[in-house]
Amino acid sequence: MAVERDRLKVPESVSDEYAPGVKGFFQGALSVLTGLGITARAATRTPTTVRYPDEKLTLSDRWRGPLYLRGALGRDSIDIISAPPDEYNGVIDELYRTERLSPCIGNCPANVDARGQAFLIADDRVPEAYELVRERNILPGVLGRICHHPCETACRRTRYDEPISIRPLHRFAYEEYRKVASERIKPLPQTRGKRVAIVGAGPSGLTAAHDLMRLGYTVTMYEGESKPGGALSTGVPSYRLPRDVLYNEIDNIVAMGLDLHCGVKVGKDVMLADIMRDNDAVLVAVGLQQSRILPLPGTDAEGVIGALEFLWAANNLGEAGVAGKRVLVIGGGNVAVDVARCALRVGASEVKLACLEGDNEMPCHPWEIEEAIDEGVIAMCSLGPVEVLSSENKVTGMRMRPCLSVFDESGRFSPTYGEEMTDIETDVVVFSIGQAAVLDDLVSGTALLVSGRGQLVVDSTDFTTSAPGVFACGEVVTGPGSAIGSIATGHEAATSVHRYLEGQSLTEGRVPRPVPVLEKYGPVDFDYVEPERRRAVIELADPEERVTDFRVVEPGLTREQAMAEAMRCLRCESEVCVGCTFCARVCPDYAIKVERSDEPGARCLTTYELDLTKCCFCGLCAEQCPTGALQHSGQYELSFYHRELMVFDKGEMLRDGGGTRSTGRDGITSPACPAPPRKAGEAS
Amino acid sequence: MSFLWGVVWGVAAVLVVAVGAIIGVWWERKVAARIQLRLGPQQIGPAGSLQMVADVLKLLVKEDIVPDASDEPFFRYAPLAVFAPVAMSIAVIPFAAGWAPFDASVGVFFFLAVPSIGVLGILFSAWASHNTLSALGGVRAAAQMVSYEVPRSLSVLSVLVLAGTLRPVGVMDAWQWWWIPATFVGFIVYLISSIAEMNRGPFDIPEAESELVAGYFADYAGIRWAVFMMGEYGAMISASLFGAAMFLGGYHLLPGALGIVAFIAVASLLMTVIMWVKWTLPRMRQDQLMEFCWKMLTPIALVQLLVAGVIAAWL
Ligand SMILES: Cc1cc2nc3c(=O)[nH]c(=O)nc-3n(C[C@H](O)[C@H](O)[C@H](O)COP(=O)(O)OP(=O)(O)OC[C@H]3O[C@@H](n4cnc5c(N)ncnc54)[C@H](O)[C@@H]3O)c2cc1C
Ligand code: SF4
Repeated sequence: MAVERDRLKVPESVSDEYAPGVKGFFQGALSVLTGLGITARAATRTPTTVRYPDEKLTLSDRWRGPLYLRGALGRDSIDIISAPPDEYNGVIDELYRTERLSPCIGNCPANVDARGQAFLIADDRVPEAYELVRERNILPGVLGRICHHPCETACRRTRYDEPISIRPLHRFAYEEYRKVASERIKPLPQTRGKRVAIVGAGPSGLTAAHDLMRLGYTVTMYEGESKPGGALSTGVPSYRLPRDVLYNEIDNIVAMGLDLHCGVKVGKDVMLADIMRDNDAVLVAVGLQQSRILPLPGTDAEGVIGALEFLWAANNLGEAGVAGKRVLVIGGGNVAVDVARCALRVGASEVKLACLEGDNEMPCHPWEIEEAIDEGVIAMCSLGPVEVLSSENKVTGMRMRPCLSVFDESGRFSPTYGEEMTDIETDVVVFSIGQAAVLDDLVSGTALLVSGRGQLVVDSTDFTTSAPGVFACGEVVTGPGSAIGSIATGHEAATSVHRYLEGQSLTEGRVPRPVPVLEKYGPVDFDYVEPERRRAVIELADPEERVTDFRVVEPGLTREQAMAEAMRCLRCESEVCVGCTFCARVCPDYAIKVERSDEPGARCLTTYELDLTKCCFCGLCAEQCPTGALQHSGQYELSFYHRELMVFDKGEMLRDGGGTRSTGRDGITSPACPAPPRKAGEAS
Repeated sequence: MSFLWGVVWGVAAVLVVAVGAIIGVWWERKVAARIQLRLGPQQIGPAGSLQMVADVLKLLVKEDIVPDASDEPFFRYAPLAVFAPVAMSIAVIPFAAGWAPFDASVGVFFFLAVPSIGVLGILFSAWASHNTLSALGGVRAAAQMVSYEVPRSLSVLSVLVLAGTLRPVGVMDAWQWWWIPATFVGFIVYLISSIAEMNRGPFDIPEAESELVAGYFADYAGIRWAVFMMGEYGAMISASLFGAAMFLGGYHLLPGALGIVAFIAVASLLMTVIMWVKWTLPRMRQDQLMEFCWKMLTPIALVQLLVAGVIAAWL
């Protein structure tokens, strides 16, 4: 009996549908000739590959292999970005120019070395990490709680899974530093014999003070409130920022030699003109003091209040007169969300938040509004206020109309509204639509100019005002923004003051800060991401409970979590291998083997092997290397005497591009992992 | 005495094939590169022409790997059994009027028969490697080479019918220009089946890198691998020379001593065509390959033979 066999399966993409018989024969022959014609024509065209550049033509390099590593953990440490305040930007510019700036550093307004922070923490040198961050971010403990962390948005690890928790690491570093602060804080020597006065103890003023003290100036600071910290003290609610953290960090700056006078309102208690006379330079860092209120009918009724005043009361008095009342917040920014969440905490029975923007274009950070909604805030989007309704001069409600679009075609603020009116019942209306400066008292008796719109006249690149020797920084210059944004201007202003006092040109060699170009990352598919690769999860306090008082909402990282987070850092552009294993993961041929040990203080690459017998020379590994440690050597043609030579181990991967590689191992040994670094004073 | 001559010719044939293979590999790399819009070898020597010299040096000094499980003597010498017959077959090619290195009265038969011994070499290597992929490749190669011998011999037969002799020199003496059109179909059949005989693309199923990782010589490295390689190029050279002589008139194309030049030029052109075909067409499937041989080429060759027979009888 004949064996029955399966018919040969032809993939659907393959067609051998030629006609049967003679016709098919000619069809086949024709297609062969067509193919030959195509290749013949291709051969007459100019080749698209390029020639090897001449310097690549030496025989010795050819035998180096296609890839090599620069630096490897356990052998090198990465460059920590640290420079005197007035030179820091030059360093950043240089790194930016050579494309060696890691995205987190580039995207932080103050260019905090977040990469160095992670390196030092992973190396178990946490206080050093704190001090490194403090060079650029004067209040790491504070910003570690409230910063909107553009650095994390830019973190390249987002390409692979999730960004590093840079902000919570600031906080962790602060908690550790706090334990040793008394030993490490020393008064800065005042070597220059020149005096600078700063008006306003907000983050920008404190930053400039710190920079100037580091440069050897004697700095005096005047603050109108009884406590320093500016909007951080009067505005930011304490469930996000406990005041002891803020005041402790400011105390540390005072301990370095800052002469801080609180409760002194310049323009009232002392005159700015006197300060200008007594000092060599003056810096105005007064921030924005006044809430803006829309000029709508009915805003003079009792129960209409501005955001800053509301927050000041909630923060300083612990109550804002809204207990048991319904509160409506007008505005969709971060301050509005703070107001809404505070209102819940001081006993409001119902809190609504109304803004012009649609629900996915609200100007506040998404995590802020999410937390607020969890706590019970009702967000009402695309609504524009028309009129405050009142009876007997007491607020009873707010008339609103739908907002159809907020911006016009050219992206300018120009809202358009619908017709149909809605009345929202409420007892209190809080306007949170922005802040403005209050400058009249301050500038009286000086040559300082204030523009028609009530703004101080300031040059926004060198931070000079209309009076010589008087500079300005912070939100009074930039308008409402972030704390780290005002800190960045503080550094700039300090540099200007220094140059002015040294008699140098304010502008020379000063490039505008590079505008970071944010990389856009697609959503990450976590299906194949091992759990231990992911970012630490910080469990917020239970929303139902936390709204009852001003307890802290977000706990910090535990020591283990912080260490793990720090070790997740890929140390982008450091040109030192971190053993991240992503090269091995992208390799289509499984030619790379990477292993590392993750001991705190001794994170080390233990194995790096490249098996050239598998390598297909696609170069994907080097393309994706986040640190730039894995490099193409430019050689793709290989020749070896023995099979064993075709597996490059860690030692050989570390060898630079030169030298021969065909004859043997040449006595190369892999660098070993180092012993964990000892802490100072510890017996060996 | 004749033994000594034999040795001299043997060495000469090996050298011719080796040098031809070196030039052939270089030329093939250039042809392939141009078809793929690349430059090909370019660093060593003008236009990379010394690249192959360097490659030979490299191959000579490379580690000589003999797998543990292999049947050692067979494994070691199988490459020679593939290469030697190919080199021998060159001896009967009529290079100039009345002259072939080995002027045998059954030269054409010799040319067709001797390289068939290579099948044994391939089977040796396939079996001795003690490796499934190699064995599979070897069996495929044997089936393919034995099959394609049929249309190949039949196509040459059509020329022999016209010439009335098996002596290559005699065939060339009797050659007439109109043989070219009269046996053109036979020439195409000869060319195709020769490509299949030397296991080159699109008939390189026995090697099939993608599925058999080089088939019967998968386990070979260094100079032993290179001998296989030379065997393939040797087969290409001898088939081109023989085809140029039998079907295209060989040295008749130009008068006198220039004839040899013309002959070698035409043979080189044929080699280029063989390369061109390889870099154009995708690899066939085993069943297509067999069908093509038995149901297409063999009948066509028979028809050609019939035509040649009729012409010969009519003359
Ligand atoms: C409610 C709220 C929440 C915020 N939340 C965040 C946040 O989560 N994250 C973030 O990054 N940023 C946040 N910010 C923004 C951040 O607080 C500010 O960007 C930052 O504080 C601005 O710093 P500054 O130094 O420019 O001014 P300010 O912090 O406003 O400091 C100015 C200081 O000058 C003092 N002053 C004013 N006039 C005089 C005078 N005549 N004499 C003496 N002293 C004077 C003021 O009392 C004040 O202390 C928030 C702001 C507010 C209002
Ligand atoms: S200050 Fe803010 S933006 Fe800068 S590194 Fe720290 S968390 Fe990131």
